[in-house]
Amino acid sequence: MDMTIAPMAPAIRVRGLNFAYGEGSARHEALFDVSFDIPPGQLAVLTGPSGSGKTTLLTLLGGLRTLQEGLVEVLGRDLANLPASELVLARRDIGFIFQMHNLFDSLSAAENVRMALELGDAPVAEIRRAARQMLDRLGMADRADAKPRALSGGQRQRVAIARALANLPKLVLADEPTAALDRDATTNVLGLLKQMTIERGTAVLMVTHDHRIVDLADRLIHMVDGRIASDVTLDNAGRVREFLKTVEPFSALNPADLTGLAEMATLRHFEPGEVIIREGEQGEEMFLIAEGEVEVMRDDHEVARLQSGEFFGEGSVMSGEPRNATVIATEAMDAYVVRREEVAEAMKKSSRFREQLRRFFVRRH
Amino acid sequence: MPGGAVPLAWRNLVADKWRLLRSSAGIAFAVLLMLVQLGFERAFFDASLTQVRQLDGDLFVMNASKYCFGTRDPFAYRELDAIRRVSGIASTAPLYADWQKFFWTSPVDDKPHLVRVFAFDPAAPPVFLLPAIADQQALLETDNAVLVDSRSRRFLGMENPPAETKLNDQTVHVVGSFALGPDFMSDGSVVMSDRLFTKLLPGNRAPVGALPIEAAVIRLRGGEDVSAAQQRLRAALPPALTIMTKPELVEFEREFQAKLSSAAPIFWLGTLVGFAVGTLISYQIIYSDLSDRLPQYATLKGIGYRSSYLIRSVLSQAALTGLAGYIPAWLLGLAVYRVIGDIALLPLRMSLQLTAISLALTLGMSLLAGILAVRRVIAADPAEIF
Repeated sequence: MDMTIAPMAPAIRVRGLNFAYGEGSARHEALFDVSFDIPPGQLAVLTGPSGSGKTTLLTLLGGLRTLQEGLVEVLGRDLANLPASELVLARRDIGFIFQMHNLFDSLSAAENVRMALELGDAPVAEIRRAARQMLDRLGMADRADAKPRALSGGQRQRVAIARALANLPKLVLADEPTAALDRDATTNVLGLLKQMTIERGTAVLMVTHDHRIVDLADRLIHMVDGRIASDVTLDNAGRVREFLKTVEPFSALNPADLTGLAEMATLRHFEPGEVIIREGEQGEEMFLIAEGEVEVMRDDHEVARLQSGEFFGEGSVMSGEPRNATVIATEAMDAYVVRREEVAEAMKKSSRFREQLRRFFVRRH
Repeated sequence: MPGGAVPLAWRNLVADKWRLLRSSAGIAFAVLLMLVQLGFERAFFDASLTQVRQLDGDLFVMNASKYCFGTRDPFAYRELDAIRRVSGIASTAPLYADWQKFFWTSPVDDKPHLVRVFAFDPAAPPVFLLPAIADQQALLETDNAVLVDSRSRRFLGMENPPAETKLNDQTVHVVGSFALGPDFMSDGSVVMSDRLFTKLLPGNRAPVGALPIEAAVIRLRGGEDVSAAQQRLRAALPPALTIMTKPELVEFEREFQAKLSSAAPIFWLGTLVGFAVGTLISYQIIYSDLSDRLPQYATLKGIGYRSSYLIRSVLSQAALTGLAGYIPAWLLGLAVYRVIGDIALLPLRMSLQLTAISLALTLGMSLLAGILAVRRVIAADPAEIF
C-alpha cells in the first residue's frame, strides 16, 4: 500500500459525515453532516460541550468505529472502503492519545512506549533508543524504568503521550491530552506537538477544554449537538482575539473592535523573577497573562497571584497615575501586551467595554 | 516483529507476585491430582507386570483360554513331552501358580490372608530372574520349605518372617526370602517346590507329573532363533495352547490391564477430573487477569495490533501460567510418590514419560482455558477507550 500522501492533500478529509447510536426508537444521532479538512502541519482544536459529538468524531477518524454515512479519508485512505485488516494497518500511522492512559501495569514506562514502536519493523536497538528519546523529550528520562503504578497521574499521561508520538505519526488524534498534566508538562507536550506540526508536517486534531492550547492552535473547531458550529482558522491576531474573548471585560467588545485590539497586542516573554511592572513607575501598558503566573506586591507584601487568563496594569493605563503595585513573574511567563493608546481607543469605541473595565478596576482596587 | 520484543505475556504473569502465587497454587493442585492418578495408573501397570517380567525364559506356553497371567487356567502336564520334543529347546520347566486358594497365616495378626503362590521343580533350572530365588531354590527341596516375598504388604509379616507358620493350615518352614512386591490383586507371594504345591493345593490329589501346570518356561539353546522356535512349537502343540515370547507375554498382560481390567478407566477418569478442575481453575485465573487488563488490550487494538498478536500473547500467558503451576506440582509429586510408594509398596516413579504426559495435559488445560478466555480480548472495543 502506498504510504505516502500527495503534497497538500489533507491529512483528514471529511464530507457529509453522519453517525447515530442505537436503532429504532433508541436511535440517537451523534453527528450531522460534518464536513471539514485538516491539512498536514495543522494543529486543530476541537471544542464543544459534553455530548456534542467530539469523541465520536475522533473514534470515526481513528477507524475505531464503523462508518455509517459520509466520506472519511485519513492520510489518503478512504476508511469506508478499507477491509478490516488494512484498517488495523491504517491505525498504525495515527498517534492516539486517549483520555485514559491505559498503560500496562506489568510493563515499565519504556516498555509501554516500545509496544507502539514494535508495530514497525525497526531493529530492537533502534526501538529501545527511540522509546528512551521520546520519554526524555517529555521529561520522563529518569522514570523510564518505572512501572506505571510508581508514577503520578501526570507522569502516566506523559508515558501514554510518548507511546502515541514515538512513531512520529503523520496524524495525532488526542482527547484531552493535557487534562492530567501540570503547567510545565503541558507546555512541554504542546511544544512537542507544535514542533511536530512544523518540522514533520504532522496534523493534530485535539479535543480539549484547556484554553492554554488556544495559543498554539492553528484552528478552532467548535461543535454543538453533533454539528460544526464554528470553524475558525487562526493567525496570530486570531489567536489573541480568541484569547481576549475568554477574558472579562474584553469579551464585551464587538468582533471588529476585538480584532482591532488583538492586531495591536504583542506577545512578550518574561523569565522567572523578572519584574514586569514596578510600584510608583508610570504605566504605559497593560498585560494579559497567556501562560504562567505572577505575584502582585504592594509595600513588599504579596497581595495576589495572577494566572493565565487574568490581566494586570490596567489601572495606570486608564488613570495615567503611577503603578500602585509591583508585579513579578514567578515562573516563565508569556503575556499579551496592550499599550495605553490602544486601550483608550477601544474604550472610546465601546462604552460597554469602558464601563466593564472601570467596574472591574473599582472592584479590584 | 523483530526478536527481543517486549515479553508482554511474561511481564503480565510476574507483575503481581501474590497473584502468581495464588494462580500457581490453584493450578498445582489440579496438576498434582493428575500426577497422582497417572502415577497410580503407571504403578498399577508396573506392579501387575512385575510377576511376568521376572520370569526367566525365552518362550512361554500357556492355555490359550487364559485371559491374563494372574488367573488359574492350567493345561495338562503331558503337553510338556510334546514341547520337549521340539528342536532347539535347552530346557522346559513347568511353573505352577495359584492366586486364589492359598492362605498364609500372618504372624502379625494370626489370621489367614490370601497370597499368590509360585511353584517349580527346585532341581530344574531357575524359572525366575530374581537371584534370591535362584540362589535359594535348592533349599526348597527340604520338606515344607517356602521362600517368602520380603516386599509383601506389612500385614502379612513377611518382612521379618517367622521360622515357621501355616499355609492352608499346614505348617511351612520359611527358609529364605526374595523381593518381588505386591500388585493390586495380590498382597504378597510365596515360592515353593512343586511337591509342596501338590500337597497344599486344596482339593488336589494329583502328584507331580499329573497335576496340570500353569505355564511351561522354555529356554532355547544358544543361537536359536526365538521366532523360529515359536513356530515349531505352534506346529507341535494343539491350538488350545498359546506360545508367547517374553515381550509378547508382557504385552499380553499389559493389554489385559489396559483394556479389560476396571482399574485403568478409573485412573483415567481421575486424570480427567484433574484436567477438568485444572481447566476451570486456569480459566478463572486467565479470565480474571484479562478482565483487569481489558482497557490495555483494547488500547493495543486501537493503536494497530492485530487480534492474532493478542491471541498469541494471551495463549503464551496461559501456557506460562500452566508451567508456573506445573513446576511446583512436579516437585511436590516427587515427594508424594515417595511417601505413597513407601506406604503402599507400589512402584510410583516420576518417569520421563509420566513427566511428558502430565506436562502435555497441563499445557493442554491451560491453552484450552486460554482459548475460552481470549474471546473477551478479541471482543474488546477500542472505541470505548476514547
